[in-house]
Amino acid sequence: MRAKDLRKEYSGRPAVRDISFEIPKGKVVSFIGPNGAGKSTVLGLVSRLIARDCGEIYFQGRDISRWRSRDLAKKLAILTQSNNINMKLTVRELVTFGRFPYSRSRMTDEDNRVIDEAIAYMDLTDMEDRLIDEISGGERQRAYIAMVIAQDTEYVLLDEPTNNLDIYHAAKMMKTVRRLCDELGKTVILVLHEINYASFYSDYICAFRDGQIVKFGTVSEVMTKETLSEIYRVEFEIQEINGKPLAIYY
Amino acid sequence: MNGGISLRKIKPNAKKMIALAAIVAASALVYQFADVDTRHFGFAMGIRTPKLAVMLLSAFCIGCASIVFQSLINNTVVTPCLLGMNTLYVLIHTTVIFTLGPASSVVTIKPLSFGTDLVIMAIAAVSMYGWLFKKTRGNVLYILLAGTVMSTLFSSVTSTMQRVMDPNEYEVLQNALIASFHKVNSGIILFSLAAVVAVTLFLKEDLALLDVITLGKDQAINLGVDYDRTTRRLLVGVTILIGVATAMVGPISFLGLIIANLSRQLFRTFRHTYLTFGSAFIGMAVLLAGQALIEHAFSFSTNISVFINAGGGAYFLYLLLKNRGAGA
Repeated sequence: MRAKDLRKEYSGRPAVRDISFEIPKGKVVSFIGPNGAGKSTVLGLVSRLIARDCGEIYFQGRDISRWRSRDLAKKLAILTQSNNINMKLTVRELVTFGRFPYSRSRMTDEDNRVIDEAIAYMDLTDMEDRLIDEISGGERQRAYIAMVIAQDTEYVLLDEPTNNLDIYHAAKMMKTVRRLCDELGKTVILVLHEINYASFYSDYICAFRDGQIVKFGTVSEVMTKETLSEIYRVEFEIQEINGKPLAIYY
Repeated sequence: MNGGISLRKIKPNAKKMIALAAIVAASALVYQFADVDTRHFGFAMGIRTPKLAVMLLSAFCIGCASIVFQSLINNTVVTPCLLGMNTLYVLIHTTVIFTLGPASSVVTIKPLSFGTDLVIMAIAAVSMYGWLFKKTRGNVLYILLAGTVMSTLFSSVTSTMQRVMDPNEYEVLQNALIASFHKVNSGIILFSLAAVVAVTLFLKEDLALLDVITLGKDQAINLGVDYDRTTRRLLVGVTILIGVATAMVGPISFLGLIIANLSRQLFRTFRHTYLTFGSAFIGMAVLLAGQALIEHAFSFSTNISVFINAGGGAYFLYLLLKNRGAGA
């Protein structure tokens, strides 16, 4: 996936200014940066949720506007934070929606097998008949991830998957992200606020500020005192823990 | 194991649907044949049959339109009628007669007049409500507020026009507009039926996408649905159905709210096949049973809209309070 001169304005104010990047395949890439830096907007742009003003986004050699939306849904899945459903929906029914791009509403045996696997992969088999508005936030997040797994795409885009999760569930979520990449071979792009999760669980980090990319590189390239201070405008110390840079800020 | 679970889940709803259909059939029979004077059988049938057809058809329109509309804007306390869609229809109809005059063939040929109304209505409603939803970003309180104001605005403009109208024009207008359950507009039954069937067939694919649409815009696009196109087409369908219902039985604001929510409570599912048909069937049962009561128990001393609007108003308040914080 490659983006060139991407730009997006909201009522005259640029949210993303002419940025270009290329996402390496089969890796975990984290977008970090302060609020309003344009991370989520970029994620929305590359996943066609948000219409761009300028620029090109190439996905597997073709601009995403030239893909049929339904075909793209088999290659690329995005999970945003706006998931409030007013419906009576069980966990299994939610995961079933992941197969919609393939079979519309008529599930085949193959679909049901994929759904079973996705539910089992996220440890949800016991609660597949529970309603999603009656389970905890962490469980609901897992249900959504299971749906993304059922969608069976090469690319998975997650907008702040650890948002509203406690430390236990957040760490578990990050381990799941790692497994999506290592075990299932997916390319995962995620927006993160917690930079140490980005450091410990991703391969590449893309740092944003004011709608522009300040630095895009491997974890050790980006997780430096200078870069982080420049992005967040606070003091940073970097310590090595288990060979990974850990950022301490104050 | 999964087969067992899904069977257990689906079966009760299918049973409920069959029971509902049976209730509708029973109410229809009671309505059609209760207290028939056998000496004037043909005469009674001639009066009751069009009324029966109109009630079934308008219940179907309002029931389907309300569920679809609610799912489109992802909130269950709003219906198209609460946002003034039926007063918009009355306004358009008035405007057409006002500008073209009562002798124009667009006014005198009923199906043509009705068709014109529907086309204008579809264009006006889609641009207006589409804009409204976009501007308010789906904030239901704003939508509701703006809808109420629009509803009042449409009726004021309508009554202003009616006041300055030529008395002959007004006569023509009234004949068409004071449709109610006592005096149904039976001249357009066939045309309405055709319109409803056409809309249903035309939107068949979009309706199948409603289940996905209720997951929200982002999820719908993620799953490959052309969200903007689908919602626009569905909104056109809703508009036409409401136009048809208003033309046949006049404006009844709260019916859609009652039946859509009863259907949601009864079926407790996201599957729109159940929700829409459930809502339509409940609407038919309510209208038929209510009208039968009014004709035979109250001997026409009151109007069914009175009951619906009184009951519906209370129910609306209950829903607002119950959903406080959650829905809005």
